[in-house]
Amino acid sequence: MTEFIQATAFGLLIGGVYALFASGLTLIFGVMKVINIAHGALLILGAFLAFTLWEQLGIDPLASIVITTPAMFVLGWLIYRTMIGPLRSAPLSSTVLLTFGLALVCEAVMGLAWGNNSRSARPSYFDQSFDLSGIVLPKAQVYASIVAVLVLALLWLFLNRTWTGRAIRAASANVQGAALVGVNIAKVSALTFAVGIATVGAAGSMVSVLYPFLPGSHYIWIARVLSIIVLGGLGSLQGAVIGAMLLGLAEVYTQTYISTAWATAVPYVLIFLVLFFRPQGLMGTRLREDVAV
Amino acid sequence: MTGALERTGLDRRLWRGLIAVAALLLVTYPLFFDDLFYQNMIILSLILAIGAVGLNIIMGYAGYISLGQSAFIGLGAYTVGIASTRIGGDPFVWIPLAGVIAALFAALLGVIAMRTRGFAFVIITIAALFILQIVAINWDSLTQGTSGITVPLPTWDISIQNWPFYYTLIALLGASLLLSWWIRRTKIGTGLLAIREDEDKAATVGIDTPVYKIIGFMASAVFLGMAGGVYGYYIAFIDPIAMFDIVISVQIILAVILGGRGTLWGPVLGAATIEPLNELANQEFGGGNSRLLIFGGLLVLTILLLPKGIIPSVRDFLERRAKRGRAALVGGRLGERRALDGKPATATGGTGQNLLEVRGLHKHFEGVRALDGCSFAVEAGTITGLIGPNGSGKTTAFNLIGGTMGADAGEVWFDGERIDRLPPWRRAYAGLGRTFQITRVFTDMTVLENVVAPLRSFSWRQLRAGAVSGEEAARADDLLAFAGMAEYRDERAEALSFGQRKLVELAQVLMLDPKLILLDEPAGGINPTLIARIADMIRELNARGKTFLIVEHNMPLVLGLCDPVLVLASGECICAGAPDEIQRDPQVLDAYLGADFKLEEPVGAP
Amino acid sequence: MLHLDGVVAGYGAGDVLQGVDLTVDAGSVTCIVGPNGAGKSTVLRAISGLLRPREGTITYEGREIHGRPPEEILELGATQVPQSDGLFANLSVRENVLMGAYIARRERKLIERRYAEVAELFPLVGDRPDERAGNLSGGQRRSVEFARSLMLDPALVMLDEPSVGLDPKALKVVAAAIKRMVEAGKTLLVVEQNVRFGLRMSTHGVVMESGRVLMHDRADAVLNNPEMTDLFFGGTPTKAPSPTASRA
Repeated sequence: MTEFIQATAFGLLIGGVYALFASGLTLIFGVMKVINIAHGALLILGAFLAFTLWEQLGIDPLASIVITTPAMFVLGWLIYRTMIGPLRSAPLSSTVLLTFGLALVCEAVMGLAWGNNSRSARPSYFDQSFDLSGIVLPKAQVYASIVAVLVLALLWLFLNRTWTGRAIRAASANVQGAALVGVNIAKVSALTFAVGIATVGAAGSMVSVLYPFLPGSHYIWIARVLSIIVLGGLGSLQGAVIGAMLLGLAEVYTQTYISTAWATAVPYVLIFLVLFFRPQGLMGTRLREDVAV
Repeated sequence: MTGALERTGLDRRLWRGLIAVAALLLVTYPLFFDDLFYQNMIILSLILAIGAVGLNIIMGYAGYISLGQSAFIGLGAYTVGIASTRIGGDPFVWIPLAGVIAALFAALLGVIAMRTRGFAFVIITIAALFILQIVAINWDSLTQGTSGITVPLPTWDISIQNWPFYYTLIALLGASLLLSWWIRRTKIGTGLLAIREDEDKAATVGIDTPVYKIIGFMASAVFLGMAGGVYGYYIAFIDPIAMFDIVISVQIILAVILGGRGTLWGPVLGAATIEPLNELANQEFGGGNSRLLIFGGLLVLTILLLPKGIIPSVRDFLERRAKRGRAALVGGRLGERRALDGKPATATGGTGQNLLEVRGLHKHFEGVRALDGCSFAVEAGTITGLIGPNGSGKTTAFNLIGGTMGADAGEVWFDGERIDRLPPWRRAYAGLGRTFQITRVFTDMTVLENVVAPLRSFSWRQLRAGAVSGEEAARADDLLAFAGMAEYRDERAEALSFGQRKLVELAQVLMLDPKLILLDEPAGGINPTLIARIADMIRELNARGKTFLIVEHNMPLVLGLCDPVLVLASGECICAGAPDEIQRDPQVLDAYLGADFKLEEPVGAP
Repeated sequence: MLHLDGVVAGYGAGDVLQGVDLTVDAGSVTCIVGPNGAGKSTVLRAISGLLRPREGTITYEGREIHGRPPEEILELGATQVPQSDGLFANLSVRENVLMGAYIARRERKLIERRYAEVAELFPLVGDRPDERAGNLSGGQRRSVEFARSLMLDPALVMLDEPSVGLDPKALKVVAAAIKRMVEAGKTLLVVEQNVRFGLRMSTHGVVMESGRVLMHDRADAVLNNPEMTDLFFGGTPTKAPSPTASRA
């Protein structure tokens, strides 16, 4: 029983970080219907940034989100301006391939800049744990999850309590309606993309302390984000959170009850199962690009 | 698909000559040069080309992107590696098995992806690649995990170098090209193209889309699996990381896009361009990261700058040059229309039997009730009109009858059979044809190909049949003549005007020889002359026993053509009757001219 | 107040509007009617800046506005309620209405005051501000859209087929809402397929066909014109030959 509670708590903690990671993707998809395959690579880039800040300047990797987030915001803006914006009227398949190419470029640049060795930031609390009457939770994981929830809360406030956030949500519901009340769609798209990538920067800071990573790690993150989409649906924050929690639990249960080696296969198996049995997704995934009217 | 190049005689000869020379050079190369570096490069190019020609079948023809093609290389290599080390025998013996396994795995993925579209397919293919890699790493007892399988070195005489690999791969490339060429010329190819252009529409003209997609995906995998087997034997060491390498998937995709998707030779051209770059990256820049940088960057640049690829871009250029000064066919006058051959036209009128019955259909969209308990019947032999204000649910009713959408509740009966659970193609086989409000012809096909695309039944034999048989062409010519579009037969549908597309779409539906034809606003957006022509065509067809259900806003047309007329309002059928009854019916006047809404006075009155 | 002169506009290759001349006087309620595809909605799209006219001029309050982006036209005091679903279904009623003041978002006080005014006009807005707009019925959705269009206190409100897809009960709700807007002193330009519904609440009627204006008169004159029934249920006044004739 303790084992089960332990696994569940751990799965939910991981799910929190996954949720932050997936939120940016689903935000971007909502407004511009682009599935950003480079999401995983940018996450690892964020992790490398955090790692460097910790190694060179001694900045705590979780505190470094105040630097990684704005840095990735700027990068997101640039990517939108140079690549995604020009393809605005292209079919979904073009942006999928484009962002995939971008992911490879990103992986290469990281490899050239930081080398292809596994890294991991190790602050003082790295190998300490909280012990709650037998349930052991690593401090880094707990702190990271708390920060993730805080960032998600901020994102939620931004989307729900500010004019810009409202404009983003309006544009994702109804582009023409948004244009008619004076929302500049091109600007809002650029901003959304930048915000989406900024959240990945924050998630990257957390990954730097939670998992050993190298440039090639981004593939498993692509897999995770794709399975979160398939589970939770695209375009809504709630869907991303639910999908992330389900994935986190599924991974940890597999680790606990089956084997660590096969835990990496969980996202893929989930993708197959969901798409075969419920192609519309568990939560009514909007994966079909061509729904007839 | 290399249409323009084939059409202009000189270019065509030049093109064929180029291909012949290139093929000759390729085949004779190892006989005259013994530089292993270049031989190796050609061998790798051949593998890439086999992958690209295969991927082109599913990506170029059917429009489905697979990011997991290297999975088939890995599957093939492991099949050959495992079989030859465990069971024994020359690894070459096992190469056909590699193809079979790859094709079966493709079929499995196809089944999983059967009910999904577009992006979900990309996800499935990526997932397949990575999951195979994980299996190869973890299933130690079979694959020896990360330590990999070492295949015994070839036993043949050193003087023939790598010829067996070289020529096997050339044979496989030849076979791939033959398969690709053959598919493009058969019903499978037309079906795949139709799926790429408009999958919903394809289903309504009788194309069993899941079967086509699965066949297409298997065809894209089979020779790549075999090439993977050769590859594994060639490099003599099979490990999970190199065999299930996503960068190879990217190179395959890049070869297709760069060369030109949907063309026969484009993927080969793309592969021949990319493999030297690969060698350059490996030799000059130490592989690894620079290889990623080059191919990732190239993918980004190709999508941004040359999205159509080399061959289609050249084709467009030549086409534009050739067309300069030549007056376009399109926009000209309508061709003469010819009556259909066969039995004389005698009006049949209603037969008293219901061909179509719709019972209590409900359909909601995010809270909006498009159909709310809609029931009506269409009598065999009639031209039935379906009118109603905007938003009353007419097009939704069509979509539910045709099967493009599923109903929330209610039944659709056609010719004594309940059809509301059948997929669209089965409804087409049953004798139901439809056109769309905004015409949906397959723009990248010729007019003739459009008209012969519909299928009246499904059979495995038929898949192998030529895309356009003589009999079909004759029938299509008849129908095109009937529509007055005979002279546009070989034009690409993309070049047609809106009205001409309507005529082609009608001819296309007639190819199904349907009992009931659903027309969604046949007169919408076209000029009066054409409206009169379409009305004539409808009457003539009706006289030959076709039943029609027509959604239309043009009241003179409806009242002159249709009897009876059904009226929809707020998702229900509120009235049915002869046109002159309908005109006087107060309920209809309310729904159409405005609900008799009692405001005491005009609100804006001063 | 609003004047269109020889406006030609369309999508892709074709011109939907083939030279539209139209004048809307301040304080009037002008209703554009006509068969499907006549270009009624396209007129509104051209005015509100969603579609750039190819030829002709559009002047509003003496200023040329053709080719300007939607933001600028909103700023000048002309708003549009789009056809069928213009709501943001995932936003609350309150947020939907607030979005109407998006271009004035810095003036918080003003927005609060306007919101209160609009809520008075449309009780739903005041009663159920936190309801998700996607959960509302058809008539309620329309009310929220109207409320949204009033947040900038525009002088001209354009309504694109306010009756589309509504059952008679919802139609009453919408008609009452339109009446309140008129009473609040708005100039309305309405596109309507439901002829009687549209013309009964209007002062002026405009009949369009094939991208041109056929008739422009007082609403009751248009409504009682015998040709009106003809236009919808008989031979059209212009071309479109009766298909029966060609056979007879």
